[in-house]
Amino acid sequence: MKVPCRHVMDTSPLAQVSGIEVHRGPFKVLEEVSVSLGCGEVVAILGENGSGKTTLIETFAGILPLRSGEVIWHEGGKSITVRDSEGRRNPPPPMGLTLQRGGICGDETVSERLSVSLSVSGVSTENQQILDLLGHWGLQHRSQDRVAHLSGGLRRRLAILCGLAPAVLSQTPRVAILDEPSEGLDESAKKTLRCWIRTLSSMGHGILIATHDKEISSCADRILSIENKAIIESSGESLGGKLQLPMPGEVSEQSTLSSLFRWSMRMEMRNPIETVGRATPAIVAILLSYALVMDFDLQSHDSRLLSALILAPAFIASVSSPALVSRLAESDCGRWWKAVVGPMARPAFSITGASILLPIPLTYLSWFILSGSVDDQVFSEVMMWLWIPAFAMIDLAIAATALHLLVSDLSRSSMAPAPLLLVVLVWPFLELTDALSSIIDDGMTWGLSIHEPLVTCILASLISALVWLAAVLIPDY
Amino acid sequence: MGEYKDPAITITVVGLSFALVTAFLGFFKAPLVNPDSWNAPGAYRILYWHVPFAWASFLSFSLLFLGALLWYSKRSERGWRMVVIGSELGLLFGLGVIISGPIWGSVEWGVPWDWGDVRLNTYALLTLVAMFLVISLRSQPDGDETRDTLAAVGLFGFVLVPITAAATTIWRNRHPGIILRESGETGVDPEILQVMGLGAFSFMIIFIGLVILNSSIHTLRGELEEMNREIDSEAIN
Repeated sequence: MKVPCRHVMDTSPLAQVSGIEVHRGPFKVLEEVSVSLGCGEVVAILGENGSGKTTLIETFAGILPLRSGEVIWHEGGKSITVRDSEGRRNPPPPMGLTLQRGGICGDETVSERLSVSLSVSGVSTENQQILDLLGHWGLQHRSQDRVAHLSGGLRRRLAILCGLAPAVLSQTPRVAILDEPSEGLDESAKKTLRCWIRTLSSMGHGILIATHDKEISSCADRILSIENKAIIESSGESLGGKLQLPMPGEVSEQSTLSSLFRWSMRMEMRNPIETVGRATPAIVAILLSYALVMDFDLQSHDSRLLSALILAPAFIASVSSPALVSRLAESDCGRWWKAVVGPMARPAFSITGASILLPIPLTYLSWFILSGSVDDQVFSEVMMWLWIPAFAMIDLAIAATALHLLVSDLSRSSMAPAPLLLVVLVWPFLELTDALSSIIDDGMTWGLSIHEPLVTCILASLISALVWLAAVLIPDY
Repeated sequence: MGEYKDPAITITVVGLSFALVTAFLGFFKAPLVNPDSWNAPGAYRILYWHVPFAWASFLSFSLLFLGALLWYSKRSERGWRMVVIGSELGLLFGLGVIISGPIWGSVEWGVPWDWGDVRLNTYALLTLVAMFLVISLRSQPDGDETRDTLAAVGLFGFVLVPITAAATTIWRNRHPGIILRESGETGVDPEILQVMGLGAFSFMIIFIGLVILNSSIHTLRGELEEMNREIDSEAIN
């Protein structure tokens, strides 16, 4: 089925980079490069290792910052500045993207990954369509397996399928970006890849491929060779057969953020390392506190000591490194999500990866265990209102996640001392300690002075929110 | 190969000499303060280094902040150099502040740390940010992405200053805490001012010397890396 190509009606390309200069590490990789990708066009990027093929691919996808120039995509007659050197960013239109390292978290199942790639592209599918697509690439029998359990070759097939499927099932011309797609593929898979590329091209979709494989580059209409930071253009051979691909699916609203949230929840439910990683030190803190103070009459001491001990486990859980950071680091999964979500990726990651469910139950558990000698009236008063400072701890958790994400941008983030930046969260913690101490001493009151527990909790949330804002806005400015 | 000579070394050594003279004068020659006005009158002498440390670290953090702004707005190589030098000197002098401060606080106030002290808290915060930057500069590969992230952390640290100041002020209002004795003295003894002035001058000289020295080192590192890259490409070809 041929998708009407808007290129016939107007000459706007699907995507283009204009006058870009990109640096990787200390090197200038691309200089004054301008490339466009039209409807129905297959463009192959060739070059030696380190010449800038991946850099150009990732620049098209809006992943890399620019020293100069801009990246513009076109959809529905509108031009969208995906990224420019002034710091302007917008989410790209739906696309297919296959990164060199795959961009897939190992805990995802095969069918789930394909489904996510389609939902972020605004294509709604039924299970049978997913299985059909998988069948084309010999993955149907693995549909419920985790990606981590696949061989390298099968993982690569899945990554390519996820990069091409949004175009296959789209009713309008789409861009598919593939970085070294043939790496790790056997001969039959390479043949399938070439046929899919030519078929999609005949349907009006634009395919941009970075490769050093001559078999794959032979199916290109245009070849861009990168030499000494500049591009040399030549004609391609446009070789490759065509085959019958699945019919386009139903169009749905592009749902990148909700897909991200659902993905994150599913990953955690499947492999709860986040919950275990946060809850374990928190529970150990509760037990240690109990062991150290069980002979103390805490009520006769300043209530701030008791408050600090009650809130410390939730604080520890909140500032621990989120599992999301590790998941996003796996096989460039984070880069894939950043490309499809766009500039809202960082705020979304910080909320998705925060410990939202743990602070309240941990705080109540801590109170049950440590409150021991307090009298019944205080006990019931605190029980009724403890959720307020515990709830404010969630803001602290979100701020902590934003700080961890800030550090995770570094290429060797595990070698960077992230805890040094987390010290700033001591202040909201002290505010919450004060709030709980006030509830213990005087019960819950609803005044508006800074001594009142509600105002103190709001201040703690405000401080956390300001830290969060700084951590998410500054890096992406 | 001859010895490396840099006038910055001379400047720094001169500054250190003056700093040592300040320490000597401060500990042995400067007059004692009124014992009725201070809890630990002898311990006040740490001021002769504590205040110059604070002044020098203020200059260093300003360098860091301006450099981060320059890098962020223009990707200026000079801006990046300021970030590197500012973070290293900020760590050095900042540690001086947050070590000497609690030593003095322990004897003068009875507590080594006051969560209600805006200056102490903000200096500690900036010193931690500087420490993060210095450690990361050594562990991360150089490049635009690393520089963008570290410059962002540098700017982030400065955005935290007013947040921390506000949080500390709120905390102090709720917890008045340490009560300083009201001094009956008016003004400061001129001799104390003189020694303090010498201290400020000597640390300024140290600061200038270290900025020039670090700048030279940064330039030399860049030249060395350039030569290494040439050797790399010769080795491949």
